[in-house]
Amino acid sequence: MSENNFVEILLVEDNPQDLELTRRALRKGNLTNNIHVARDGAEALEFLFCEGAYATRKPEGGPKLILLDLKLPKVDGLEVLKRVKGDPRTKTIPVVVLTSSKEQNDVVESYHLGVNSYIVKPVNFERFAEAVRDVGMYWLLLNLPPVEK
Amino acid sequence: MKRVLRPPRLTKRNRVATRDAQASGRGNDIGAVIGIGERSRPDDELKASLKEIIDLKAALDEHAIVAITDPQGKITYVNDKFCAISKYSRDELLGQDHRIINSGHHPTEFIRDLWTTITHGRVWQGEIKNRAKDGSFYWVDTTIVPFLNEEGKPRQYVAIRADITERKQIEEKLRASLREVGDLKAALDEHAIVAMTDPQGRITYVNDKFCAISKYSREELLGQDHRIINSGFHPTEFIRDLWMTITHGQVWHGEIKNRAKDGSFYWVDTTIVPFLEEDGKARQYVAIRADITERKKIEEQLRTSLREVDDLKTALDEHAIVAMTDSQGRITYVNDKFCEISKYSREELLGEDHRIINSGFHPTEFIRDLWTTIAHGQVWHGEIKNRAKDGSFYWVDTTIVPFLNEHGKPRQYVAIRADITDRKRVQEAEAQLAAIVESSDDAIVGQDLHAVVTSWNAGAEKMFGFTPGEMIGQPMTRIIPPDRLDEEVKILVRVRRGESVGHFETQRVRKNGKLIAASVTVSPIRDAEGNVVGASKVARDITERKQTEGEIRKLNIELEHRVIQRTTELETANKELEAFSYSVSHDLRAPLRAVDGFSQAVLEDFGAQLPEEGRHYLQTIRSGAQKMGALIDDLLAFSRLSRLPLNKREVDSARLVRDTLDELGYPLDARKIEMRIADLPPCLADAALLKQVWLNLLSNALKYTRQREPAVIEIGCTREPVSARGFTGAANGNAENIYFIRDNGTGFDMRYAHKLFGVFQRLHRADEFEGTGVGLAIVQRIISRHGGRVWVDAALDRGATFYFTLGEDPKL
Repeated sequence: MSENNFVEILLVEDNPQDLELTRRALRKGNLTNNIHVARDGAEALEFLFCEGAYATRKPEGGPKLILLDLKLPKVDGLEVLKRVKGDPRTKTIPVVVLTSSKEQNDVVESYHLGVNSYIVKPVNFERFAEAVRDVGMYWLLLNLPPVEK
Repeated sequence: MKRVLRPPRLTKRNRVATRDAQASGRGNDIGAVIGIGERSRPDDELKASLKEIIDLKAALDEHAIVAITDPQGKITYVNDKFCAISKYSRDELLGQDHRIINSGHHPTEFIRDLWTTITHGRVWQGEIKNRAKDGSFYWVDTTIVPFLNEEGKPRQYVAIRADITERKQIEEKLRASLREVGDLKAALDEHAIVAMTDPQGRITYVNDKFCAISKYSREELLGQDHRIINSGFHPTEFIRDLWMTITHGQVWHGEIKNRAKDGSFYWVDTTIVPFLEEDGKARQYVAIRADITERKKIEEQLRTSLREVDDLKTALDEHAIVAMTDSQGRITYVNDKFCEISKYSREELLGEDHRIINSGFHPTEFIRDLWTTIAHGQVWHGEIKNRAKDGSFYWVDTTIVPFLNEHGKPRQYVAIRADITDRKRVQEAEAQLAAIVESSDDAIVGQDLHAVVTSWNAGAEKMFGFTPGEMIGQPMTRIIPPDRLDEEVKILVRVRRGESVGHFETQRVRKNGKLIAASVTVSPIRDAEGNVVGASKVARDITERKQTEGEIRKLNIELEHRVIQRTTELETANKELEAFSYSVSHDLRAPLRAVDGFSQAVLEDFGAQLPEEGRHYLQTIRSGAQKMGALIDDLLAFSRLSRLPLNKREVDSARLVRDTLDELGYPLDARKIEMRIADLPPCLADAALLKQVWLNLLSNALKYTRQREPAVIEIGCTREPVSARGFTGAANGNAENIYFIRDNGTGFDMRYAHKLFGVFQRLHRADEFEGTGVGLAIVQRIISRHGGRVWVDAALDRGATFYFTLGEDPKL
């Protein structure tokens, strides 16, 4: 069960259609296992820091990658990013911003806060799927994360 | 002139007479003479003697006038010469006595003495003046020898004469000359100082006047040389020259200063004449002098006076402007200073009258008064304004002195002037300044250090209501409100230290008690030594200005308020626009992604169950969604252009073009494209934005040449003078780089060129060439944000050329 409980990807997305399309894209890239979805920033933070509804969760249970939308209810994506990269417990987790925003401000701010990749969701689904698949492949399979002590 | 012969000569004569006696045998009168003495000689010896005697007689006859008389004085023989000189024939003479030729010249004693001598048997010799037959006189040097008989009585007389008429005449003349010379010498001695010296310079003769002037006696002078009277006044060269002249036989003339015995000096005008021997050596020198001591003294005085006058004139010329005019007023003399100030040359002035420099400034009465004064022989003094040749004016302080002739009428006028132009200018400036002060609207007042008013202009009267009479001598505090007195005291302290206090705004009180706002400037007044002795105050009534200022301030505040309000509104609008863009960017695309994504999902998951038509519709939905996505992206990109700041730096255009082509996938495998890229100069631009320009233009070129085989795309840059195209704005002012991209594509009709750069404007249908119609709008926005221009030249089916400039040439 611990194997099953381990979360590979935390997907933070409030839009149900985008959520479904992202899941579909990940599935097409064979990255379907152990995806946890947070529907807003607050939930994402609770999950990551094992607080609130996730108080019982163990920090060792992942995720290995965070896919983060920026425009989120309650706590927005940049705030989530800031908390993740500002906390020693979570700062080594790769964060990929997956957003509709091409705003340069968002891009610059994200990189300032330590984002690992910034992906603009294309309208064309094939290209969207391709992008999601590439990101998942890269960060989960090719990238070598530091070994925690 | 009678001479008595000495006895030895008498003896010789006697011997001759003896020889004569020996020849008497020849039967003539001479023979009778010869008969005397030496009869005892032998015959041949006698013959020889006789011959000798005959020869002698012939020679004598040839040479001398010979006559023989008997003891009674009757002429018994005359020779030819006797006849010739006496102009009597022999016949007329023989038997006559000598009275026939007596001139009556000699006194009786002379004749008696002659007869006494010869009758006593002695030879007589003398000079006798005779008269010829024609009455003319002649002189003969005469020797009469008596020949004696045995008794010792004269037997006959032989007279031998020589013609000395000529000599006598010369003697006569010489005597007359000597007499004259004697007279001249006497006269000279009377008149001049005369001295003679021998060749050695020793004085051999001095006359009385020499002694008188030199105060030496003749004895003291004779044998001395002239150094005895040397004054030491003349230089050695002078003396040397004198001696050189006279020793070379030339006359010297000059003036010499000598010293008398008593040490006093005297001047003599001196002529020294050297008298020479035949060998040219000086025999003696005669010096003739005239006493010019008095003249010398006068000359010296005159010279001194002249020098003084000359010095005075030089000094005057140096100092003053001098002119002289004749009685008619014509200029006869001007000095350099006159020419300098009037700017006329001397030639232009001489002969003119003073109207040449008349400025026209002085009234007729002034000029008339001047002339009346000087024409009456009185000195005129005044200040005159003249005009120089170049039209400029100058002032001269003038004194005109008339000089009168013996009739008391002006003979000439001497005008002495001093340039007072500067002083006059200062006076004029001062007068003008006073007029300005008086006419000023500002109150200009003076006060002493105790705040007592010393001057009060019309402006002050107008501003404060007090007349000068009411204020001068009164304390300045009358116009200062009590609550401003402290301020006044502080200002006066600063003024006493020499400081000025400029444009401070305060209040003053009018005579009617009304307060006015005033701007006051206070400056120290200094005396000639620089000590502060008072203060000048310039006050301006700013009551009105103050009110206006108040209104302006109020308006300004309102305006600022309004600006702030508008700015806030604008900022709000901007924020809203940004939020709108953000939401468009983020929210609008999400549904499109859903439309596209789920259409795709349907096709993937249920495509097999759908009819062909159903699948086509889904594809159409998808392309519509994608098209809208592209539109949104372009629109966002376009709106972002206006918001982002430009980041200009040097851009390598050539490289930028290559990178852009790479990004566009060039070279495209499927197409044959001839790409000509010329050397592109670097430029100053925002690299990211400029890349957008190239991206749009290059993709357009590739797109619209799709049907060309081969497609030809030319990229280049020309440099053209800005003015030639009638544009301005290039930074260097005369030339700019024009980048261009030319293709041989479909081109377009230039009638629609104005639409080309508008947003969403397209000149081709979407089924011909895809596109959103935003690309060229972006190009234009970027170019205009750089300050450049973009334009196009095209023809339908014949390609298009896009040109753009970047407004600013790189300084490369």
